[in-house]
Amino acid sequence: MKKALLVFSLIIIFIGCEKKTFSLVKITADIITIDSAFNEKAAYKKLIAPYKNKMIAEINSVISYAPKNINRYDGKMQSSLGNLLADLCYERANIIFKERTGKEIDFSVFNYGGIRASISKGAVTNKNPFELMPFENNLVVVELSGKKIMELVDYFIKNKSAHPLSKNIELLINTDASYQLKINNQKFDPTENYFVLTSDYLQSGGDNMDFFKNPISLFKTDYKMRHAIIDEFKSLDTLRASVDNRVILQ
Amino acid sequence: MDRRKFLHQTAAAAVLTSIGGLTLPSFTNKKKHITILHTNDTHSRVEPFETSHHRYANQGGVARRATLVERIRKENTNTLLLDAGDIFQGTPYFNYFGGELEFKLMSMLKYDVATIGNHDFDNSIEGLYKQLPNANFDFVSANYDFKNTVLDTHVKPYKIIMKDGIKIGVFGLGIQLEALVDPKMYKETKYIDPLEIAQDMSRILKEDEECDLVICLSHLGYFYKKDPTKISDLNLAKNTKNIDLIIGGHTHTFLPKPTIVRNSADKNMLVNQVGAYGVNLGRVDFYFDENNEKFSEGTTILV
Repeated sequence: MKKALLVFSLIIIFIGCEKKTFSLVKITADIITIDSAFNEKAAYKKLIAPYKNKMIAEINSVISYAPKNINRYDGKMQSSLGNLLADLCYERANIIFKERTGKEIDFSVFNYGGIRASISKGAVTNKNPFELMPFENNLVVVELSGKKIMELVDYFIKNKSAHPLSKNIELLINTDASYQLKINNQKFDPTENYFVLTSDYLQSGGDNMDFFKNPISLFKTDYKMRHAIIDEFKSLDTLRASVDNRVILQ
Repeated sequence: MDRRKFLHQTAAAAVLTSIGGLTLPSFTNKKKHITILHTNDTHSRVEPFETSHHRYANQGGVARRATLVERIRKENTNTLLLDAGDIFQGTPYFNYFGGELEFKLMSMLKYDVATIGNHDFDNSIEGLYKQLPNANFDFVSANYDFKNTVLDTHVKPYKIIMKDGIKIGVFGLGIQLEALVDPKMYKETKYIDPLEIAQDMSRILKEDEECDLVICLSHLGYFYKKDPTKISDLNLAKNTKNIDLIIGGHTHTFLPKPTIVRNSADKNMLVNQVGAYGVNLGRVDFYFDENNEKFSEGTTILV
């Protein structure tokens, strides 16, 4: 009897609920900042710990060696670190570009502001590439007219920053801002088109490098700058980097 | 109420109460309280920021978020925890473990629903798919068509959750992926106009599914000053009806407080976004009354 009553009653409740409607009368909303006032729950730290330990070990694993400090401010409109990065990106991307298009990249250019840290003398670990290049920028090859190359050089000269250029460039800048430019030992020809390696960030107008917009052609390598750096560092026992004659100020 | 029905209900109440102290809110309580907690753009920020950080020194951290969330759940068991996308990318935890730890932590925190942000494709759609077994919560997206991808059937347009007799519909919206994410990463994911989808979704959830509460998890971005007509949470809010709350992401907007917006039916609703990196937790409390004469008076929103 009791059982029957229960079943019967549940049906009533079900019907009752079905008909019930609610109206929203009040909403309160808030944004709460999570700071040290909140304790860290032990169970979560326990879950994180093995990942953290593995990550730290991985990050601290030595991948190369720097015989001296390599930084972005040891030269005039160039730097040892900028040269190292521009050259290694050129070398590695050129292999991909050549394989897929049969052509060669003429040179590479990046931005001074994109190098986010120096490499200190001593062991080079996995941490260095992340510090140098925390962004997820990909390498792209941009085909530019001679006219756009001239805009690029004008930008470089006016900007006066050590924007990284690869070793393919020999740029002699006179005190009156006129210049002589050689690309791969050939005198720059304003009627020619050139293949320039840069990052997708700069190509899309980052750092006001407007000459990269609307290029004749655009080739995406799908290779991250950071991955190029990691791959290169891992392949070298010792990192050699220096300021050289790619940019000369008269 | 007729006497016969009254007696049945009284009897039912008596029986149920006697078989284990079950509460009967529909008879004894005429008020309901739902709490919505939310994050967005946590970007693999598993641990708090370093004390030397220039902007968010010693803020954030999942283990601390857990303390706050559990405290609020103790206050109100009828609490949902939601995320508006970009769970992935930002610390080496993602680079080394592909999002495994992020999803495991969110599962431990008992997240209910999340939507997909552009960075959640950073290890390609397969990378996201591979991590799904670590997520004990659902993903919703109404304007990404995953039919020709590995995510087909794994992501639903919306999810309905019952809490204390209140029916809550949660749907997701994602940002246009073209020019933002490499097509090699999102593969054949199709992006559908979010405004039209939102209008459909809110109608389905409010009218067909008869939800008491409709929530949109959006990764469209709060608002674009330089491109004010671009679809964003504020534009979405103005041009739809029946959405009670839009939880936003993508633009990493640290709002001083949640925004009240007048929708297309001239009703106030809420848009909220809590910046990024798990520095903040959003909290929205919804209070319901059983329908009575007060109905016409509308909703009070306090921010």
